[in-house]
Amino acid sequence: MRVDRLVRCMRWPLAVSVCIAARAASGQVPQGLDSATAAAIAPIVEQARNEKLPIAPLYAKAREGEVQHVPVSKIAAVVRTLADRMRTANEALAPGASEQELHAAADAIKSGVGPETLRAMREAGGDGSLAVPIGVLTQLIARGVPVERASMEVVTLLRKGAVAKNFIALEETVRQDVLAGRRPDESLDLRLKGIIPNLPQSATDAAGLNASSPRRPR
Amino acid sequence: MHDINEEGDEMISRIVAELKTLPPVPADATARVLARVDAARRSEGTSRFGRRFSISLPAAIGYAVAATLAGFLIRGAVPRHPSEPTPRGIASAPVGETLGIRTPIVPAAANTRALEEAPVKVQFVLEAPRAKSVTVVGDFNAWDGSRTPLDRDSTTGVWSALVDVHPGRHVYAFLVDGKTWTLDPNAPRTKDLDYGTTQSVLMVGMR
Repeated sequence: MRVDRLVRCMRWPLAVSVCIAARAASGQVPQGLDSATAAAIAPIVEQARNEKLPIAPLYAKAREGEVQHVPVSKIAAVVRTLADRMRTANEALAPGASEQELHAAADAIKSGVGPETLRAMREAGGDGSLAVPIGVLTQLIARGVPVERASMEVVTLLRKGAVAKNFIALEETVRQDVLAGRRPDESLDLRLKGIIPNLPQSATDAAGLNASSPRRPR
Repeated sequence: MHDINEEGDEMISRIVAELKTLPPVPADATARVLARVDAARRSEGTSRFGRRFSISLPAAIGYAVAATLAGFLIRGAVPRHPSEPTPRGIASAPVGETLGIRTPIVPAAANTRALEEAPVKVQFVLEAPRAKSVTVVGDFNAWDGSRTPLDRDSTTGVWSALVDVHPGRHVYAFLVDGKTWTLDPNAPRTKDLDYGTTQSVLMVGMR
């Protein structure tokens, strides 16, 4: 009988898959975490999963604490804070933020960037990934550029059609200037003068054309 | 001279005589032989699996349902690997209906982002001639040192590794001999506000 043969071939793969599913469903997914840490963050991870947030960054944050021998209670508190930041980032970057964007946005929020800036970036950035622009924003703030100033300039760059390589170039030149002794905000002023005129939207503006909803080129 | 034809005729005559004396073949002989062969096959199956495997149609359907359930559980419970460039939002994307098949409509933006966020190879280098082992830990490898050991150049004592990293800002450190937190001397540094440690910073652009 054909069904008999089919089932005979499939019974071991089926048994294995059922075992894996049962193990995964019971929450015993191996993440290389200490059992006490895993237990402490389990409710936070479960809630994030229910909200369809990526849970890998939460496990990674817990592991970061373990590598640095941080107490479990502190790790749990940090993971909870990260989940809150990701929730905020997810709402600000909706719809359909990628995991890399959420990772970057959660870091930016940690540095003081507000959700309104993230929303403006999404609006200005079109379909492109914001992982690099948000990362550069965070790094400019870490270098000492005031949050409001850095946020405003990054949104302006996106509106003018800046792409990842423009942001990376900006960050690198500011880094070199700061190493050379220039103040971070002075350096930002200087380097923006070199980048903005070459952006697509700047050329449109210079030609007297009005594009109400600029989009980054692909 | 011996006559061969005469001897052959005698031999044939004897064979014919012997065959005529064989008992008649029973009418059910063929059926009985086949039954014995079938029984032998059954006994072979018993020795390998304890008993011959047989299953009814309802049981087969039960297996199929179990497999489907297992698939749903795995999809729902196992987290995606962090290095997967799968765009979020696809799972919750609107659903279109074509000829009865429900197909998720993947926004073009998700595809664009997934392409832009494809990982690029980054080389990590640390000069540590007296180290016995060096690994790099960072947010790109979930802070798991076992994932990314560096290889030592025996002539220079320089450790290095090529790692797939997504575009964006990343923080990391080296773990020397499995325990010593070591910053990259060639990279910018930042103070982590969560755990209070100092980390090296890496900015990765797109391919």
